[in-house]
Amino acid sequence: MRTGIAVEALTLTVGAFRLQKLDLAVSGGEILVILGPNGSGKSVTLETIAGFHRPDSGRVLINGRDVTALAPERRNVGFVVQNFGLFPHLTVTQNVAIARRTDRKDIATERTIALPRDVAGLLDYLGVAHLGERWPEDLSPGEKQRVALARTLASAPDLFLFDEPFASLDTEIRDQLREELLSFLRALTIPAIFVTHDHDDAMRLADKIVVLREGAVMQAGPAMEIFAKPANAFVARFIGVENILEARVAQAAGELAMLMVRDRELYASVPAGSVTMGREVRLAIRGEQVTIESPDEEWLSPGINRLDGRVTSVRSLNPLVTVEIDCGFPVRGYLLAPQARAMNIEAGKSVTVTIRADAVHVMVD
Amino acid sequence: MSQSSAQRQSSRNAYSHSGGLYLLCWFVGCILLAFLVVPLVALALSESGRSIANVARMGDVRDAIALSFVAAFLSAALATLVGVPLAYGLARAAFPGKGIIAALVDLPLAVPHTVAGIALLLVLGRHGVLGEPLQELVGLKFWSTLAGVVAAMLFVSAPYTVNAARIGFEAVDPRLEKIARTLGLGPWRTFARITLPLARRSILTGVTLTYARSISEFGAVVILAYYPMTAPVKIYELFLQFGLDQAASASVLLLAVSLTLFLILRAVSRGAPPRENR
Repeated sequence: MRTGIAVEALTLTVGAFRLQKLDLAVSGGEILVILGPNGSGKSVTLETIAGFHRPDSGRVLINGRDVTALAPERRNVGFVVQNFGLFPHLTVTQNVAIARRTDRKDIATERTIALPRDVAGLLDYLGVAHLGERWPEDLSPGEKQRVALARTLASAPDLFLFDEPFASLDTEIRDQLREELLSFLRALTIPAIFVTHDHDDAMRLADKIVVLREGAVMQAGPAMEIFAKPANAFVARFIGVENILEARVAQAAGELAMLMVRDRELYASVPAGSVTMGREVRLAIRGEQVTIESPDEEWLSPGINRLDGRVTSVRSLNPLVTVEIDCGFPVRGYLLAPQARAMNIEAGKSVTVTIRADAVHVMVD
Repeated sequence: MSQSSAQRQSSRNAYSHSGGLYLLCWFVGCILLAFLVVPLVALALSESGRSIANVARMGDVRDAIALSFVAAFLSAALATLVGVPLAYGLARAAFPGKGIIAALVDLPLAVPHTVAGIALLLVLGRHGVLGEPLQELVGLKFWSTLAGVVAAMLFVSAPYTVNAARIGFEAVDPRLEKIARTLGLGPWRTFARITLPLARRSILTGVTLTYARSISEFGAVVILAYYPMTAPVKIYELFLQFGLDQAASASVLLLAVSLTLFLILRAVSRGAPPRENR
């Protein structure tokens, strides 16, 4: 691989924690998100790539160069942490100046856009030139992110590492900074690895996702695939799938399977031959795939699964209304606020739930 | 909106609840402050300007005060040189038995200073395990010398530097050091440009305490090195030979010089560049 990073069979022990044979590959311009709960090893993985832990075995390659034995300061990785980690005793300009590498001449050559090399130019590129004399504690989160990115760019990194940079921010600022970071990364061709436990971060930023649990890879692949086809209940729960159901395969014929969820039938599209009769499986159904209609209305949605149910609870968070329904098993779906008003949705109301067979994802793991 | 105003409301309530506690704290605190300040004020007022001037003209009193300050300065400098690295080690390294080392550092604070002096005499004295070879090999002598005074001061006062510096280093977020490393700074430059400046204020506080403790040390010094006389030893000698009056005059003189010096030290550490260690 010419540009990009590869982690090969990385195995690492830190105290009681063990990371097992981790493989990662990110090429220029790509964003890889490592998703996992606390203690899953995602931060340790990032710090190992940065050079702060010595792996038991395995290699870390940056642009084809084996950096496994190199000290952090010789790896050319940019590291951005929670709250952005600006040096509190240095001004914005000093924060960026401390990182400026003058020993690298090859930086601008492979970039799609020419980056400024001087401190003032970098601050200007990120739109924070006017903050040069400020102290970090006087900056807003957005300004801190830009200064942190300017500082990281000053060190001419071959790779960006983000360790939950937004973890302490509230949702609104988080969304805004995520969009800013995304357009920043898209403009460069520097690969990035982003560690988070937040599936919104993953959904918005990721080209590829690796889901970690206690040091083991649960699933790895393109972001779309992970979100559409989680490999198991852990991954499904972690990427925010609303409906995870236990089921038994009652019939399997070609690409269609009939499943029993408690005593109700549910049809699912499956790859031919992937499930056998009598097998216990789990189902993942995203809430937005659940259509909720009044029972007296005409059948509007062309779906195979049509279930009668009763609303058990309604939570309104504009513009979405979250509706919990008992269809013989619990199902969660959404309505837009005006729809919910028109249908007069409330607890106890009878509704019809429609779920397309291809929206029912069967997990055999 | 309504939520944040409710929060403001509750924080105001919390304030009014704490009003009584706040007053009580200050009342009790003032008793302690008076206990600390009144004897010193009484001492200062007990002496006429003339008797202080008389004492100040005595060469051996002036020498003793000068020696105290020089020896304390050397002790503080040595404590910084040796104590700051130990503090960083204790703050950053995690190993079994770290608690024991931290307790060892505090040991001199718990030992009566006369006992410390006797222990030092056994090690550094004429026939001590270190005293004898050091004199034979490099001519360094700890009895009746400046080196002895400094050694006694260092022994009882170094913990202040180590502890304050350790707290300062522990307060530095290790992630800032990691970021500095990824930005291309080696371990030494990271320490010099990030860690040390961020812990600077704590270290200064510790060194100032070490300095103050060194000047005030009597017990260990008097046993390891009665001569040359530091100010506390000289005052003790005046007290034994000439009684309270002369000793009190010399005491006031020492007090005045010490206070002036500490006011200057405070001003200097306050005048440090802004935002450090925040």
